[in-house]
Amino acid sequence: MSEKEPKILSFLCNWCSYGAADLAGVSRMEYPSNIRVIRIPCTGRMSPKFILAGLRQGADAVWVSG
Amino acid sequence: MHTLSEVTEVSGTAGNFNVTLHEDARYIDINKCTGCGDCAAACPVSLPSLFEQGLGERKATYRPYAQAVPGAYSITKKDRSPCTNACPDHVNAHAYVALVAQKKYPEALEVIKRTLPLPGVIGRVCPHPCEDACRRQEVDAPVSICTLKRFVADQVDIENSPIPEITPRQEKVAVIGAGPAGLTAAYFLAIDGFQVTIFEALPVGGGMLRVGIPDYRLPPAVLEKEIRAIQRLGVKIQYDTALGRDITVDSLMADGFESVYLAVGAHASMKLNIPGEDTEGVITGVRFLRESALYERKQASGHVVIVGGGDVAIDAARSATRMGADNVTILYRRTRAEMPARNEEIEDAIEEGIHIDFLMAPQEVVAENGKVSGLKCLRMELGQPDESGRRRPVPIEGSEFVVACDMIIPAIGQRVNPAFLEGTSGIELTKWNTIVTDTISCETSRSGVFAGGDAQSGPWIAIGAVAAGRRAAESIRRYIDKEDLKQGRDPIEPPQKNFNPIPEKIEPQFREQMARIPVAERVSGFTEVEKGFTEEQALTEAGKCLNCMVCCECFECVKACGADALTLATHMDKPHSTELNVGAIILAPGFAPYDPSGLDFYGFDTLPNVVTSMQYERMLSASGPFGGHLVRPSDHQEPKKIGWIQCVGSRDQNKCNNSYCSSVCCMYAIKEAVISKEHAGEDLECAIFFMDMRTPGKEFERFYETAKGKHGIRFERSRIHTIEQTDDGNQLTVRYFTEDGRLVDEIFDIMVLSIGLETPPDLVDLARRLDIDLTPGNFARTDIFNPVATSKDGIFVCGAFQGPKDIPQSVIDASAAASAAGELLATARNTMTKTKEIIPETNIVGERPRIGVFVCKCGSNIAGVVDVPSVREYAESLPYVDYAADNMYTCSQDTQDMMTQIIKEQHLNRVVVAACTPKTHEPLFQETLVNAGLNKYLFEMTNIRNQDSWVHKNNPELATEKAKDLIRMAVAKVALMEPLVETELSINQTAMVLGGGIAGMTAAQSLAVQGYETHLIERNDYLGGQAVNLFHTSQGDKVQEKLADVIRTVEANDNIKIHLNTELTHVDGFVGNFVSTLASGGQSEELEHGIAVLATGATPYIPTEYAYGQAPNILTSLELDQKLIADDPMLKTMNAAAFIQCVGSREPDRPYCSRVCCTHSIENALELKKRNPDMNVYILYRDIRTYGEKEYLYKAAREQGVIFIRYSLNNKPVVSATGGAITLKVTDHVLGLPVELSVDMVTLATAIIPYADEKLANFFKVPMNEDGFFIEKHAKLGPSEFATDGAFLCGMAHYPKPIDESIAQAKAASSRAVTLLSQKTIFSSGTIAQVDPMKCAACGVCVSICPYSAPSFAAEGRFAGKAEINPVLCKGCGLCVASCRSGAIHLKGFDTDQIFSQIFELDAAV
Amino acid sequence: MSKDVIGSVMVVGGGIAGMQSALDLADSGYYVHLVEKSPSIGGAMSQLDKTFPTNDCAM
Repeated sequence: MSEKEPKILSFLCNWCSYGAADLAGVSRMEYPSNIRVIRIPCTGRMSPKFILAGLRQGADAVWVSG
Repeated sequence: MHTLSEVTEVSGTAGNFNVTLHEDARYIDINKCTGCGDCAAACPVSLPSLFEQGLGERKATYRPYAQAVPGAYSITKKDRSPCTNACPDHVNAHAYVALVAQKKYPEALEVIKRTLPLPGVIGRVCPHPCEDACRRQEVDAPVSICTLKRFVADQVDIENSPIPEITPRQEKVAVIGAGPAGLTAAYFLAIDGFQVTIFEALPVGGGMLRVGIPDYRLPPAVLEKEIRAIQRLGVKIQYDTALGRDITVDSLMADGFESVYLAVGAHASMKLNIPGEDTEGVITGVRFLRESALYERKQASGHVVIVGGGDVAIDAARSATRMGADNVTILYRRTRAEMPARNEEIEDAIEEGIHIDFLMAPQEVVAENGKVSGLKCLRMELGQPDESGRRRPVPIEGSEFVVACDMIIPAIGQRVNPAFLEGTSGIELTKWNTIVTDTISCETSRSGVFAGGDAQSGPWIAIGAVAAGRRAAESIRRYIDKEDLKQGRDPIEPPQKNFNPIPEKIEPQFREQMARIPVAERVSGFTEVEKGFTEEQALTEAGKCLNCMVCCECFECVKACGADALTLATHMDKPHSTELNVGAIILAPGFAPYDPSGLDFYGFDTLPNVVTSMQYERMLSASGPFGGHLVRPSDHQEPKKIGWIQCVGSRDQNKCNNSYCSSVCCMYAIKEAVISKEHAGEDLECAIFFMDMRTPGKEFERFYETAKGKHGIRFERSRIHTIEQTDDGNQLTVRYFTEDGRLVDEIFDIMVLSIGLETPPDLVDLARRLDIDLTPGNFARTDIFNPVATSKDGIFVCGAFQGPKDIPQSVIDASAAASAAGELLATARNTMTKTKEIIPETNIVGERPRIGVFVCKCGSNIAGVVDVPSVREYAESLPYVDYAADNMYTCSQDTQDMMTQIIKEQHLNRVVVAACTPKTHEPLFQETLVNAGLNKYLFEMTNIRNQDSWVHKNNPELATEKAKDLIRMAVAKVALMEPLVETELSINQTAMVLGGGIAGMTAAQSLAVQGYETHLIERNDYLGGQAVNLFHTSQGDKVQEKLADVIRTVEANDNIKIHLNTELTHVDGFVGNFVSTLASGGQSEELEHGIAVLATGATPYIPTEYAYGQAPNILTSLELDQKLIADDPMLKTMNAAAFIQCVGSREPDRPYCSRVCCTHSIENALELKKRNPDMNVYILYRDIRTYGEKEYLYKAAREQGVIFIRYSLNNKPVVSATGGAITLKVTDHVLGLPVELSVDMVTLATAIIPYADEKLANFFKVPMNEDGFFIEKHAKLGPSEFATDGAFLCGMAHYPKPIDESIAQAKAASSRAVTLLSQKTIFSSGTIAQVDPMKCAACGVCVSICPYSAPSFAAEGRFAGKAEINPVLCKGCGLCVASCRSGAIHLKGFDTDQIFSQIFELDAAV
Repeated sequence: MSKDVIGSVMVVGGGIAGMQSALDLADSGYYVHLVEKSPSIGGAMSQLDKTFPTNDCAM
């Protein structure tokens, strides 16, 4: 994986996964920095258009969690 | 909120209580602490975390867990550590030992230097009273505190250590004597800024340290270095200047010295007072050591005899050996046990070939040619103890003999030489020539002249002189500043009782010993004997500290705190009392988990793999001690097999005196087993060892069945005999009796003890102080019809202190208690609350975005990783950003005030904060916007701490890049934010309660008493519901009498309008504005109301099994109650009666437990026994579920001879009725054989079944579960309300429950309703969905998918038929937005273009 | 019952029950003193991993 790090865009639910991502920090866990988080009010808010837009913007993966 | 507080006293009556609280010190300013955790990172003290149940560690400064509220840290401090306390100078040994353990040597030196400027010296010569006090000796041996001090001094170059900031002053102070007292006084006076000169009689500094202690114990270089370090502060030392010879106090005063400190020491020797003492060859120990130290005497020869048993005697002897004496003998008049010299010194001396003769007293010096040739001695024996407690030596008559020798060194003590007073007047001496001083101020009889050290105290240990010097320095400063010399300096004896407990599982260790040079090398010179600790040794020793005081007061946290929340001042905080005046008191103090220590057959104390269920919860938790990875505590290997033992500390009178059932353990054990399988996979074997499986709550039985079936968890009805460890220590052998009485051994990796709930002793004390009654199980006594009221008016109770219970019941009781308090205080509502000032909002419509970006450093939490200044600069370069700043702590109050100011001055109209997480801090910053006159939705927060600096700490560059990206995305989004309106909606103040049973009536009564007009709707022509059929409660109340009281009270309340024979036929509207149509006798009326309580109850199952209906004496439970109410005479004459449990419950097509039947049948069984003690009463059951203190009934029934026979679902009893006789066939579970019982009556404990009223469910858009009970908003946290706003739930419509639980839930529903009604108006959130009706295709997807029923079709107007969203019902989830095919719905605050703007800013990112 | 009725309530214990009582009362127009003996509220529930029977996170 050294030559290419995948770029990940993630949409995290405010009520669960976003909190979990906070907790990962509180627990001082470490993970690669090539991920960008967009907070959404609920995964119900997710629209396929966001995923497509993310991919078009150059993200290698889009992660929706909620 | 009052944290760290306990109630100490309560007086007054209901409606008006005076309460005294005792509040412990937090030692951290709760208002300034930002919870960043820098203090904990700096803290050297770790101890087991109570939150992690001892499985993890925390620091002395801590927050119990990451999400704790308040988020401020607090410090645990107990009584002052014994080591520090025992030191005459109170050198903070605990702190420097703790810092050594952290390898923080310069910091450790700094701690020592707070009170002691001579660490290397004292670390070598001190007889260490600290170690005598060390509690570690209760385990093995004291920590080598003194050697650790020397280790610190050896590690850090004191001459280059930082100098404290000194503000110079003009005043001059003279110190006489450069010994430990004089040097210390000079050091602290110099720090105070004074011009200090030390006058020293000798040509060298150090006093007795230099000329009394031989070089092999204290190398002069060490002392000289530390003296030079003192001189760095500007202290001058004038050598060869003796007071009384070269100067006088008067001459010094004349020279402009404001004050003089006399620290001349005790350099004269005591005399033997024997003939010939002045002969050549007799030299005092003090003189011998001094001459040797000054290299004036370099050699000794022949036989040297030393007289005395103290340190000086040993020092002289060992020095003589080194100086070439042929042999050296010490004569001591008592025995080894009485020798005052340090034991290790005596041993060293013997090792070096020195001979010690005990019980010898010198009589006369024998001279030859004017020189010593021998010493005539007398043999002694020990007599009676003298005043010092040592046995007095008594001469043995006629035992004289002469010891031939060439030199005699008497070393029997020192004294003060009064020559220093030549030419000085006004200074009083004692009869021993020591200087008289005030004990607190150290001032002599002459004003301005102070004294200390050996010259004042007589010969004592060096650290005593240091203490005296430090005390004198303070006095001299006060004297010069003309302050009171004594104020606030009274000696205090700090308490020495409350210490950090010594861990139970602690291994004794050997005490580390310093390496020493070999004896041959020792005796040939004055090289230092002891080499000090290696780093490894030092760390081992320091690691043994028990942290008696917990916080060691090293003050590293003070240095670490950037928010000024933790200071030297806050470290001195004291506990204090607070007085409160309150109308009512609610007790919700909870429980203590049962402590299984001491139950040796479970081995909890000794076996690491036996854990309590609370510990196991932490082991499972992702934030727990093992990070959520399920492992065996002994070796951190993944377990293959885990067992649970139920009823540890419950249902047990023999071992723990808790004969009640703890009500929750069966549930959590099943949960833990299921989650364990989720963690470890399907191969993990789980077994639960139990007596009765008690899952009587909503959805609980279903979960139990799933655990058995789907998850394959084994349930073993058994008794545990013992748990033992296997030979490798990593597995456990569990020996138990199976159901059929076989003894079985089985191997497990982990055994979990399902510990019960109990009331801790301090709560029993609190109850006593409050004068409230307790039950036999030590829970607060309450009444079935008043389940949250204690025996004292105005004091209510909820949670596990009312009885062992689970979370939903605790939450129900909590709201019920709030309601009970609200009913009591209704007249004073809103009298104590404050309203907020409203700040006018600036209109920003039409303005271009002017964005302010605030980047937080969070102390070092962000700035330690992310390059904050460069991020700030980057933010300044972004479009529309007019202002960017970085702040140390953006959340601190002063930064908030500054932000308000900046927003106004810079006319900012959008704000981005890049800091921690919006989950905790968004509301705070939004309030800042409001204070600055901005709409709070013109804000975006981005997370550069929890999701950046904390998780990428090893990658500062990438973390900085990420922070820039996140800010760019936030800026792009915030630019598109618009002010949002929170819609206001008025709440109709009328309530409607459906159902006139106990629950409905209680809810109506509660609402009415709190001032709300309430309509009580009942479909029958009477009030009372199912309660009209009941005979007794589990506490023996006559239900019919109590019920009549309730009905009377409801009927008498003017606020309650009762509608009997009335059905609900239609409901319109939503929260605050419902319109319901009521039909009664063919007539309809409309009722407008703001809230609705659904208390529609349930109905008994009419059985088709067990020959019901085939004989008159086969009854349901309620039919038996009717007979009991009617006092049917047959009940007294029958010979035998049986109850069959679970009739229609826990069956495949009705898989829930009806909760009340076990208790109900046992109650009635007892009643039958009461009416006819000779009657045979049988209860045929599957599991007896008398949860909580209802267990006492079960116990009483067994004691009174009720026979319990267990049957299983696949082998049910068979009832046959022929003629009048009833026969029961059942397989006895003990014998395993079928038995046949002839009984006169069979009572079927029938299920409680819900009405499953679809129509009602649709009216309020509330869901029902598979069984037909209504589904509450949240199983744990919202048990008495619906997800539909404004609709509440109580009683058996929720789930089968006894009267007390129905009443509690009714009050809870009322409480929840009042929280809404009392607002009068409510505001919607701003971030809600809105339909653009022009685009709406009226497809109806949004209407059908919204879980909150917010969208509907507009009924009228221009856009009739199009969807519209009720802003009050909308929760802003965005489900409708995503589902709208026409793109007609917008979610304000998370609109599509706003999210796109974030996505579009990605390209530069990732 | 006292004549001077005070519109405030003291809730002893900051666990799930105490917090729920305090919230209900505060939302109903009463001043609430929440008294907790440890440094922070949350009680025993915050120590639990998941809750029965939904296996929701207890935190």
